Amino acid sequence: MKVLGIETSCDETAASVVDDSLHVYSSVVESSIDQHRAFGGVVPELAGRAHVTTIGPVVRRALEDAGLDPHRPAIDAIAVTSGPGLIGSLLVGLSAAKAYSLAWGVPFVGVNHLEGHLFAPLLERPDLAWPMVTLLVSGGHSLLVLQKGPDDHRVLGETIDDAAGEAYDKVARWLGLGYPGGPEIDRLAREGSPGALKLPVSMIGDDLDLSFSGLKTAVVRATEKQRDVALADVAASFQEAVAEQLLRKLRAALVAHDVRGVALAGGVAANSRLREGVSALANEFGIEAHLPTMAMCTDNAAMIAAAGIFRIKRSGPSSLDLSARPNWQLVDVS
Amino acid sequence: MSPARRCVSEVDTREAGREFARLLRSGDIVLLSGTLGAGKTTFVQGVAQGLGVRERVTSPTFTVVREHQCHNNLGIVTLHHCDVYRVQSLDEVLDLALGELVEEAGVALVEWGDLAATIFGPHVVRVNFAVDDDDVRVLDVDGAIEPERLAVLVEWSAT
Repeated sequence: MKVLGIETSCDETAASVVDDSLHVYSSVVESSIDQHRAFGGVVPELAGRAHVTTIGPVVRRALEDAGLDPHRPAIDAIAVTSGPGLIGSLLVGLSAAKAYSLAWGVPFVGVNHLEGHLFAPLLERPDLAWPMVTLLVSGGHSLLVLQKGPDDHRVLGETIDDAAGEAYDKVARWLGLGYPGGPEIDRLAREGSPGALKLPVSMIGDDLDLSFSGLKTAVVRATEKQRDVALADVAASFQEAVAEQLLRKLRAALVAHDVRGVALAGGVAANSRLREGVSALANEFGIEAHLPTMAMCTDNAAMIAAAGIFRIKRSGPSSLDLSARPNWQLVDVS
Repeated sequence: MSPARRCVSEVDTREAGREFARLLRSGDIVLLSGTLGAGKTTFVQGVAQGLGVRERVTSPTFTVVREHQCHNNLGIVTLHHCDVYRVQSLDEVLDLALGELVEEAGVALVEWGDLAATIFGPHVVRVNFAVDDDDVRVLDVDGAIEPERLAVLVEWSAT
């Protein structure tokens, strides 16, 4: 079974061909982040017009890279992100998937973007050992998930306010750094002292929920009061506080659940401090660490195709009246 | 400018939101302005409680708008929680079509609303958030709305 995946939920226009042994034949990602960088923050184009111009060429290239005829590709299904994300952006991918589905006479299935992220470790390590705890952290989401198999997951905790990547972006913008905030702060943090600024580590009780709003506010207040503190020190202190919260919660999840692996997913998984911390935790617990490559951590369509394969096998294709769901939550599947 | 309502903690800010919710009417668009970390999202969490929203209210920055079903006796069915922090042009605020969204028994609370104030004109309620030297959140309210209505809101901010 070969599936074409399509992803347009945020900045990236992506298409990929994957089969049901999770072999990735092609994966094309076109990002509009370069356009956004000029404005010092993600500037979502609500109507998704950027995706409109890139979706056709991106799909064509993904099919050609996979050695398929772009006019009548030998695929068995199309998987498309139908939420969560920006409504205008989602609609471009969803409408394209419906059109290709009709034109080529193949079924399509709407996929939850977060469920897609959970497949990133598996796509790079098809033989990985279950169960595992996955920390999914990106610009729009922050969750701890228990995965017992490729199509069996339970949300253990999630952010009660801002996403981790959102806190990075907002703090970076506050400090006058570029976008996206993660790489900028990560780079700067290496030159700073993580103990320079006293910042709170939000723990909000014994549960596995996360919170970054208070930390963001603390950075704003601290830098207003202490104007002479070096940017690198602010970056290092902030990064340390984020990592400490994430790693403490991850540790709590590993204590509570007997697992064989721990995985990172989502754009914030590129963060060097977090990767080090997860490796150390894995060593301590004697389990495997799955740290996907950058290309697989950030938004891509291979993960959507992979999730779509399981979705269509479990519950069949979607119908043409499927709507985009901008606020679609990840629900438990077992 | 109304008298300022002082919130010394997140609990206070949330309570201010809860009380504010009781003064809302279907069709209202409320612009929230104030710096990063001034308490806008916390305030909206309070409003959501006051409107009987049962699910968790998190930052709408990523998806720009989050909709929440309400359960109250105010005739308000949907809370549209918006955040135009990431939006670049005023045209895009128009794309949000907030006026249409609130037509059907809804209210919209817009974070970073000052960025888009020209779109909404003066006839909307504005809640301004400031932070003083002691980390106290100072809230006041204004807007070119009916005097009786404004009086009620001013009473809220004077509390």
